Amino acid sequence: MTRQLNLDDIQGNVTRSYGRFSFPCARYFFLHIDDTASGRQFLDELRAKVTTAARWTPESKPKVTLNVGFTFTGLHKLGLPTRTLKDMPDEFVDGMKARAFVLGDNDTTKVSSEDDHWCKHWDPIWQTNRLAHDPRENVHLWVSMNSQVKPGTDQPVDDLEKQTEWLRKLCSKYKNQVRILATNGQNGDQEYQAATALFETLPNGDKIPTPKEHFGFTDGIGDPVFEGQHTDEVTAQAVVGRGKWMGADTGWQPLATGEFILGHPDESQELPPTAMPPGYMHNGTFMVYRKLHENVSSFNDVIDQEAKSFASVMGVSQDEAEVTLQAKMIGRWPDGVPLSKVPTYKEWQSFRQQKGFDDPDPLKSAKAYNNYLKSTEATDFRYGDDMMGYKCPASSHLRRVNTRDYLDPLNQPTGDNPNATTQLNKRRRILRRGLPYGSSELGVGNDTSEQGVIFMVLCANIFRQFEFVQQQWIQYGLDFNVGNNTCPLLGNHDHHKRHVIPSDPATGKPPYVMSKLKTFVETRGGDYFFIPSVTALRMMAMGIVDPT
Amino acid sequence: MPNLDTGHYFLTTLAPIKTGTTHDDRGVCVSFEQKLRMTLATLPTAVQSPATEKIQINSPFSRNLRTHLCRFMVLDDVIYNGRVDQNAIAASAKGADPIVPQKVDRLNAAYLMFAADIDAVTEDGDPLPENLTEQEQHAVRDSYARKLWETMEPEIREIYGNCFGFDQVNDANGFANYLQRCQVETTMPFNDYWIKAPKFHSLPVAALAALVLIPLIVTLLALLGWILHTEYVPVLHWFLNWTPGWTLLGGLILTALAIWKAYTYVLNNGNKPLPPGKYADLPSVLKSIYLQQNFADFVVDMQSKSDTQIHKAFGEFLDQQKPSDKLKPSQVPGVISMRRKNAISK
Repeated sequence: MTRQLNLDDIQGNVTRSYGRFSFPCARYFFLHIDDTASGRQFLDELRAKVTTAARWTPESKPKVTLNVGFTFTGLHKLGLPTRTLKDMPDEFVDGMKARAFVLGDNDTTKVSSEDDHWCKHWDPIWQTNRLAHDPRENVHLWVSMNSQVKPGTDQPVDDLEKQTEWLRKLCSKYKNQVRILATNGQNGDQEYQAATALFETLPNGDKIPTPKEHFGFTDGIGDPVFEGQHTDEVTAQAVVGRGKWMGADTGWQPLATGEFILGHPDESQELPPTAMPPGYMHNGTFMVYRKLHENVSSFNDVIDQEAKSFASVMGVSQDEAEVTLQAKMIGRWPDGVPLSKVPTYKEWQSFRQQKGFDDPDPLKSAKAYNNYLKSTEATDFRYGDDMMGYKCPASSHLRRVNTRDYLDPLNQPTGDNPNATTQLNKRRRILRRGLPYGSSELGVGNDTSEQGVIFMVLCANIFRQFEFVQQQWIQYGLDFNVGNNTCPLLGNHDHHKRHVIPSDPATGKPPYVMSKLKTFVETRGGDYFFIPSVTALRMMAMGIVDPT
Repeated sequence: MPNLDTGHYFLTTLAPIKTGTTHDDRGVCVSFEQKLRMTLATLPTAVQSPATEKIQINSPFSRNLRTHLCRFMVLDDVIYNGRVDQNAIAASAKGADPIVPQKVDRLNAAYLMFAADIDAVTEDGDPLPENLTEQEQHAVRDSYARKLWETMEPEIREIYGNCFGFDQVNDANGFANYLQRCQVETTMPFNDYWIKAPKFHSLPVAALAALVLIPLIVTLLALLGWILHTEYVPVLHWFLNWTPGWTLLGGLILTALAIWKAYTYVLNNGNKPLPPGKYADLPSVLKSIYLQQNFADFVVDMQSKSDTQIHKAFGEFLDQQKPSDKLKPSQVPGVISMRRKNAISK
C-alpha cells in the first residue's frame, strides 16, 4: 500500500506544476533580510499564507498561490545553528553562480582571470547576488505567487495584485528589514520576475493558455510521477511513461518519494542524507531557479539555414525540412507528438489528421489536442527499441533529459533490447516547475527581447539529479555516443556546434549532421533554494531549529 | 600474472622515502617527504585544462608513446582500522582481556607510490602481445624504466632523490633495476578499450565437476560397502566386481588428485591474461581520436556534395590522414583535442 504523505506539511509547488492546474501567470519575488529577528517575524506571518500540497476541492482551490524558499545565505541570515548549516549539501552552500563550471554557464575553455565578467548578461539581481565583498544584495528568500486568469483573457485575477500589495505591506510593517529586491529583468528595474504561459486567441477573441514555450514547442509533458503525489486512481494513468519501468511484469511504477521529498526512502532504498535535525528537513526539498533566455531569432535563422541543406540532401521541401529538423533536435514534433511513436513527417501528418488536430473548427481541434495531451499516448514509449536513434536521435533533447531505458547496462549500442529497464535513469529525474516569461504571444520576440523560460527544478539532491543531468547529459554527449556534442536545444554551442541525426539505412538516405548550431538558450541568473516543509517554516520562524 | 593483462603492463612500485631533513630550493629546512610532496605538486600534468593549456608545459610522461595513465602518491602509512573483531563468547572463553591493546601495524617509513598502465612493448608502436613469459614481462618493465630515464631524467632525479637507495642510481639501467626492487605485484588491473566484449577464459564447469565427482562417488560407494561388509562395491557390482577395501583406497587417492588438478586448473585459468583489445595500444588510441575528429569534419564538409566530389575528396582524405599509419599524422599525447596548440604530430 502506498504510504499517505502528510500533504498539509509539504509545499504545494512540490506536488503540483501550477501552470498545468490553471495558474498560468506568476510573480517570483526575491527578498533580502537585513535583521534576523524581523526576518523570523516576517516569516511567521508569511507561513500562514503558504499553499500546501493538500488536495483541493472546487471551494478550497485558491485564486492565487504562495510558496517560499531559502538560499543558503538566507538560512544563515535567519540564524540557523552552525551544526545544521554545516551539513547542508555543498552545491546548495555554493549557490548557482559558483557552480557555473559544472553547469556550463561560463566558458570552460577559459581560465577565470580571462573570464571575469562571464555573467555580465545576467539580470542585475543575480549579478549582485552572492558577491564576496558585498552581501547587501544577497537573495535570501524566494516568494512565488501563481495566479488564475480572468476568464477568456491572459490577465491575472485581481487577487494577485492584492496579495502582492499584502507582501509589500508586510515588508513595511517590519520597517523594510525584510525588503523586496527590485532589480529583476535585464534592466534591473522590475520588482518581481513575471511569468506567463503563452496564450492562443480563439476566433471569438477569447484567449486560452497553451503548453507552448517561445520556440513553439510543447513543454512539460513527461514530468516525473512519484509515490504519494496523486491519488492511486490518478497515479495509475499519470505514471505511464513518467515513472520507472523495471520490467514487463510490473510495468510503469511511480518513482520513490525520496527522489523528490526529503525524509522518505529514495530509489536506492535509503533516506536521502539531510542536515541535522532530520525533522527540520523532513518533507522539504531543494529547488533550482534558473532564468533561461531564449534566442528566438538565432533559433529560427539556424533552422532556416540548416533546413536548406537538409532539404537538398533528403530531397524534401523547405517546410518539411524545417519542421523535421526541429523535431529531430527535440524528440517531439512541435505539437508534442513523440518521434518514438510517430517517427516520420508523413506519419505525423496523417496522425494529426486522424486525431482531429487539424479540424477546421478550432474548438473541436483544441479539444482533440487537449485529450491527446492528457492521455498516456504522448508519454508511453521507451528507447530500448531504437538504440540507433533512427526514430528519435539519441542526442535529441528529449532523450538527454530523460533517458528512460536507453542506459540499461545490458543494452548493446547497436541491437535493440525489449527488456531494457529505466535503471540508471531513475536516480536522475527532476520535477519541472515554472512557466515561460516574456510576451504571452508566440513568435513576437527576437534575440534581444525578454523571453524564455523560468526553469524551476525540484529534487532531493541537486548535485545528483539536476547538476548531473545538466553537466553530463545537456553539456556533454558521451552517454549518447556523440562525444562532446551538447544538447541541440539547451546546450552551449560556442565550441560544439553539431547535432547528429541518424538515418535508417533502409531509407537509402545518409545521416545528417547539423553543424551550425548557436547557443539558443542562455542563463540569465538564478540560485539554489531549500523548500522547507510547513513545520520547518514554523521552526525557523520560532527560532527553534535544534540540531542536538 | 596480473601485472600483465589485455596486452598492457600494470606497474606498481613503492619506494621508501628517506627520513630526516634536507633543504628545499630556497634553502629552508624541510623533510624529504615535504620536499617530495612539493616536487610532485609542481610536476606538470597533461595539457587538458584551460590553465595548463595556457602555460603549455606538458607532463613529462607525454614524452613517451606508452603511458596510458600513471600516478604518483605519497603513502604515509597503512590505514589503521581499529581492533580485529572477535566473537565475544569465544574470546571470553579463551580468557582474552579486551582491555589489553592489540598490535598495531605501521609502515616502517612513508613510501612513494608510482603506478602506471603502459603498453606491454619494448619498442614504441609495437603490436600488443597476447601473453608474455615472466622474463619478457621484466623486459617490458625495464624498457619502460629506461625510456623514462631517457626522456625525463631530471624529473626522475628530483622526485626519487628523496627516496632510499636512489643515490646509487646513475643511469637508465640503474633506474630499471631500482624500479624492479620497488615493484609490488598489481593484483587488480583494469582498463577499457574494448569495442566489443573479448573472448573470456571461461571455466569448463561440467567437465571439472565430472573430474571430481566421479572418483568421489565411487569412493563413497566403496565406503558404504566397506561399512556394510558387502563383497563388492554396491551399485558398481552391477558391471564391475571391485572389492570395497581396495576401491576405497584407490578412490581416496584419485579423488584427492582430481581435486588438486581441478584447483590448479582453475587458478591457472584465472592467471591467463585477457587478450589485447583490437586498437588498445597508445599510438592506435591517439590515431583513432585524431581520425575521428578529422572524419567528423569531413562528413560535415561533404554533406550535399555529389558522389564524384565525395569520392575524390575521400581519396585525398586517405592520402592526407593515412589511417593505416598509426604513428603519423596523429594527435600527440597529453592534449585534449587536435584543435589545440601543438596538438598534432605530423
